[in-house]
Amino acid sequence: MSEPHGVREYLLAFADDEHLMGQQHTEWIGVAPFLEEDLAVSSIGQDELGHAALLYELVLDLEGVEATDLALDALAFDRPSHGYRCCHLVEYTTNDWAEALVRHWIYDTFEAMRWQLVAGSSLPKLASVARKALQEEAFHRRHADALLDKLLDAPEARDRILEALGAVYPLVEGLCEPVEGEAAAMSAGMAAASTADLLEPLHQAIEARFGRSDSIGSRTASLQNRQNRRTTRSADFDPLLQRMREVLDYDPGAVW
Amino acid sequence: MRVYEVFVKKDGRNEFRHVGALEAATDELALVLAREAYLRRAEGDRLWVVRRDHVVAAPGDFVDPNADKPHRHHDGAAVAARRMAARQSPG
Repeated sequence: MSEPHGVREYLLAFADDEHLMGQQHTEWIGVAPFLEEDLAVSSIGQDELGHAALLYELVLDLEGVEATDLALDALAFDRPSHGYRCCHLVEYTTNDWAEALVRHWIYDTFEAMRWQLVAGSSLPKLASVARKALQEEAFHRRHADALLDKLLDAPEARDRILEALGAVYPLVEGLCEPVEGEAAAMSAGMAAASTADLLEPLHQAIEARFGRSDSIGSRTASLQNRQNRRTTRSADFDPLLQRMREVLDYDPGAVW
Repeated sequence: MRVYEVFVKKDGRNEFRHVGALEAATDELALVLAREAYLRRAEGDRLWVVRRDHVVAAPGDFVDPNADKPHRHHDGAAVAARRMAARQSPG
């Protein structure tokens, strides 16, 4: 696989994860458990969408396309579903706030590690986006940790959180599964290590946060078992993309 | 949940100003949520949250008697009025 193609795939996987995660957070506006949480979670969603936009810009740079709003929208919203490179964790439609919170913590823990990997990227713009994002991620984690500190301390809430962990946990491995082009992207100096190398530290962080829980069950030691999860879409993807495109589809040619 | 009062200080100014209140379960959550609710547009550079039940509040009529002490206002209006009256008096 050629380097530019590998780099594109790598950036696209990162951008698509951020885009979908941001969208998922924003869907809590108005329905989060309390008003202050509405604001916090949508603010975090905005940050993730901001990261996605910056990463999509890098993809357009690579293609030699000027990063106009229309070009960014086309890349973010107009691909056929097989053109997306997101993981199934960010596609997943959560059943309740507990699942959303657990995913928020797991995703942001992983995301901070992922930004670390590109903080010294050979692509200067990517390295500079990483510096900005890492500052924001510290607060995202602090928000999720502050909630979990309180909830894991109360027996009933703890049960619900661990149940939610059980639902979300099977999707963790796919989060760390790299795209096919990652090796080429790494040889171009894009990242310091493979996304797959984050699986073990992520497992350890999850255990440190939630304890050795029955809901986790047996964990996979490494990513032996590649399933090309970033090139196949889960059942939740299409409805999600439809919700994301809802306004855009009213008038596809509209200029904002 | 507890109610917290939120205070923000702007860069270059000395005083913290009260900007609102919020509900939170812990001190840490109060800080994190205040950051998003009141500082998301960088409205200040320092933040205090204070538990409302830690505020020492005076009863409502605490300062009422001081409302009727014009001699403590040093805007000169009382003296000026007396001088004006003295000038206009025939003697």
